[in-house]
Amino acid sequence: MFSYTFQWNQALARLPQMLEGALVTMQVAIMSMVLGILIAIILTGFRLSGNKFLNAVAVTWIEIARNTPALFQIYMAHFGVASFGIHFSPFMSLLIGITFNNAGYLSENFRGALKAIPETQTRSARSLGMPPIMAFRTVVLPQMLRISFLPMTNQMVWAVLMTSLGVTVSMNADLYGVTQDLNALTFRTFELFAIAGVIFYIIVKVINLGARLIAARLFRY
Amino acid sequence: MNKFLLIGGLVAATSLSTAASADMLDDIISSGTLRCAITLDFPPMGMRDENNEPAGFDVDYCNDLADALGVTAEIVDTPFPERIPALMSGRVDVGVASTSDTLERAKTVGMSIPYYAFENAVVGNEDAAMESWEDMKGKTIGATAGTYEAIWIEGQIEEWGEGELRPYQTQADVFLALSQGQIDATVSTVEVAEANVNSGNFPGLVIVDKAPMVPDYVALFTMRQEYGLLNYLDLFVNQQVRTGRYAELYAKWIGEGEPADLTIQNVYR
Repeated sequence: MFSYTFQWNQALARLPQMLEGALVTMQVAIMSMVLGILIAIILTGFRLSGNKFLNAVAVTWIEIARNTPALFQIYMAHFGVASFGIHFSPFMSLLIGITFNNAGYLSENFRGALKAIPETQTRSARSLGMPPIMAFRTVVLPQMLRISFLPMTNQMVWAVLMTSLGVTVSMNADLYGVTQDLNALTFRTFELFAIAGVIFYIIVKVINLGARLIAARLFRY
Repeated sequence: MNKFLLIGGLVAATSLSTAASADMLDDIISSGTLRCAITLDFPPMGMRDENNEPAGFDVDYCNDLADALGVTAEIVDTPFPERIPALMSGRVDVGVASTSDTLERAKTVGMSIPYYAFENAVVGNEDAAMESWEDMKGKTIGATAGTYEAIWIEGQIEEWGEGELRPYQTQADVFLALSQGQIDATVSTVEVAEANVNSGNFPGLVIVDKAPMVPDYVALFTMRQEYGLLNYLDLFVNQQVRTGRYAELYAKWIGEGEPADLTIQNVYR
């Protein structure tokens, strides 16, 4: 039943545009990870703080981020907040949506990692005269980041793949958006999306490889 | 012995070639079903009625085509970006989905002669205070991704060198963003513009001007190599025009006014 002549040159002619899109995709993913990690550390702090209000804020964030579709979160960052008169560009909406999602997941990773660090370490650090913040920053935090490094890699991969949801908020500069635009123009659906798939695959492979190299360098015992 | 082999071979070859030469038109007739790809997110051409049943100009058009072929119609709801995969993977036989017949696309699929033509209008948010279509210059313009008007406005923005295009996935999202003031204007078919502005669902919208573009001729499409079916589609489209069925469907779904002239002068009325 499948009779179709693949015309790769027609699609490959658009490769430069798609690679530009891939750069935007990487940009969004990296920014969302950096922001996500920062926010996740803060949220984890909130949960450990013992303050009821801060804990509630963190729990609400994490519950929504982890238990609703990323598509919903991105859509809300665009159309949802706009009903209150706040307008974000498609780029910002996508970035906010993914960052929100990242922060929720990463915070849970961090909490798990913290549980793996014996509390005696904090107590030892404190007994050496370190103030609480310093004990956290120099003793606990580095170990926490090390333990949760591989889950963070996962989240980074996930962030790259989530950028494809940007089309729902009219994002057309990222890899998926560019591909969809080109598809409408040429109807070379199979060729274009196959190429996009390969680019996504390569990006993810590079991230995984890079993460392994970084881990090998940083975490030598 | 050789003779028998030869005859046997000939019989086999003939039966094989008969099977292979049955084209898509034959397949549709023998299967008794015509499967049409229709976008049910594009009123009044394709939509769902209050019973959630497919309705609209394109749906009636598919049913007419099925009647002409003496088969039953099966409507396959197909969003715009999925038209080609649906056709190529054999899920549908024909696209009746308001598909603009661009030369770029015709390199991939086979297009019939146009069965409808859209005029386009500029719809603006009241706050954007626009007088004519040229006021779109430098503004943030939304459109439904992958449509003729989206492609046109993208080219226009490039020519102006300023402004921004926001291609949303559905017509509804475009009008939502427009009424929220996220975009200043959109270009859409006159039919869609009027339906949405008059619906009352989106306050604060005004039809600003007609968009100065070549009418958006839309065609039925099928596999590029299916000449038998493509010929049939061409004739069918013209029969719809000359029998007055085209005007009838226009009156039913679009309403007042004259449908675009699709006659072929001095040949077909």
